[in-house]
Amino acid sequence: MNILFNNREPVYIQVIRHFKEQIALGHLVAGQEIPSRRELGSTLKINPNTAQRAYKEMEEQQLIETERNKPSRITQDQQVLNQIRAELIHESVDLFLDSMKTINVSVDELISIIRKRYEDGGTSYDSR
Amino acid sequence: MIHVDKLSKSFGRKVIFDQVSFTAEKGEITCLIGINGVGKTTLLKAIAHLTPVNSGKVTINGEPLRAQQYRDIVFIPDVLPMAPSFSIQEAIDFMKDFYPNWNDARCSDLLTFFKLDQLQKLSHLSKGNVAKVNLVLGLSVDAHYILMDEPFSGIDIFSREEIASLFSSGFLEDKGILVTTHEIRDIEHLIDKAILLKDGTVAKEFYTEDLRFEEGKSIEDAMREIYVNHG
Repeated sequence: MNILFNNREPVYIQVIRHFKEQIALGHLVAGQEIPSRRELGSTLKINPNTAQRAYKEMEEQQLIETERNKPSRITQDQQVLNQIRAELIHESVDLFLDSMKTINVSVDELISIIRKRYEDGGTSYDSR
Repeated sequence: MIHVDKLSKSFGRKVIFDQVSFTAEKGEITCLIGINGVGKTTLLKAIAHLTPVNSGKVTINGEPLRAQQYRDIVFIPDVLPMAPSFSIQEAIDFMKDFYPNWNDARCSDLLTFFKLDQLQKLSHLSKGNVAKVNLVLGLSVDAHYILMDEPFSGIDIFSREEIASLFSSGFLEDKGILVTTHEIRDIEHLIDKAILLKDGTVAKEFYTEDLRFEEGKSIEDAMREIYVNHG
C-alpha cells in the first residue's frame, strides 16, 4: 500500500479515496478486516491522528464498521459498495470535463478522442 | 498542553522574539517553522527553562514549569550532547543516571527501529546515525512532552526519511511533540499543526488539514505567502 500524497488536499480525504479505489478494484471486499489505525499510519507514513480521522469519516459514511474492541471491517452493505464505483467514476469524469471545457473541446470531438485512445489500449492511463 | 504566553526575549538590544503566544497539545505534533536565525532554538530552550526570558510565561497543563516537572519534558538539541568517545550503550547508561523515568524497553525498540548497534562508538557513526542516537536517547525517557530541535538538519535524505517515519510510528503516541524545522518537505503530511514565526512573532498558526481543506494550500504555500510575498 503506497500513496503519493498531494500536499494541497487533506490527507484524510486522500486516504479515504485510496480505500474506495481498493474497494472498486476488488482488492478490499465486503466484510474484510482492515489495518488498525496505528498500522495504517505507519504503512502509509502518515500522522496516526490523520489515520484516525480517515477511519472516523469512513465510519460516518458507513464504508467501514467497527465493533467495540474489534478490528474495523469493510461494510457488508452492497448498496454502499456499489455506490463507490459510481462515485469514483463521476468524480474523475467531472474533473476531466472541467479541464476539457476550459479549452473548448466539443463533446463530439471528446468522444471520438476517448474512443480512439481507449481502443489504442490507453497505455498512458495512470490511476492517480 | 504546553501554553506559551506572550513570551519575549532579547539579547541586549537585539530582540529574539516578542510577545510570542501559541499552544502545543498532547497527542499532537506541532511544528515551529521559520527561516534560519528566527529564534526557534531559543524559543524551545526558553520553554524548557534552559535560557531566561524577559517577560511572559510558559505553562505545562496549566502549571508553571517547576523542577519536579523537568522530567516530564525532554529537550532534544540539534547536536548530540555526548562525548564522542562513548559507545551508544555508554550514552544510554549516562542518560539512565539522570532520568529515573528511563524506559529500557522503549529504548531497545527504538534501537531496533533505527537499526543501531549499541556497541558502536559515537565517533564512528555517520551524521544520520548520530541524529538517530540523539532521538533514541530523548524518546526513551517516559516524558509527556518532547521538544525536538531541527531533527532533519544536515543529514542525508535516507536518514531523513527514516527519522520522518518515526512521526508515523507508534513511538510518539499520546505525547505532545514540538519540533522545529526549516525544511518542511520532510514532514508536510506528518504534522498536525504549524506555527510560522517571522520577525520574532507568530505570523500564522493553523492545523495543516484545515488549511488544505479550507484553502487548498500546502504548508509550503503558507510559508511562501509569509516569507516571500512581503506586504
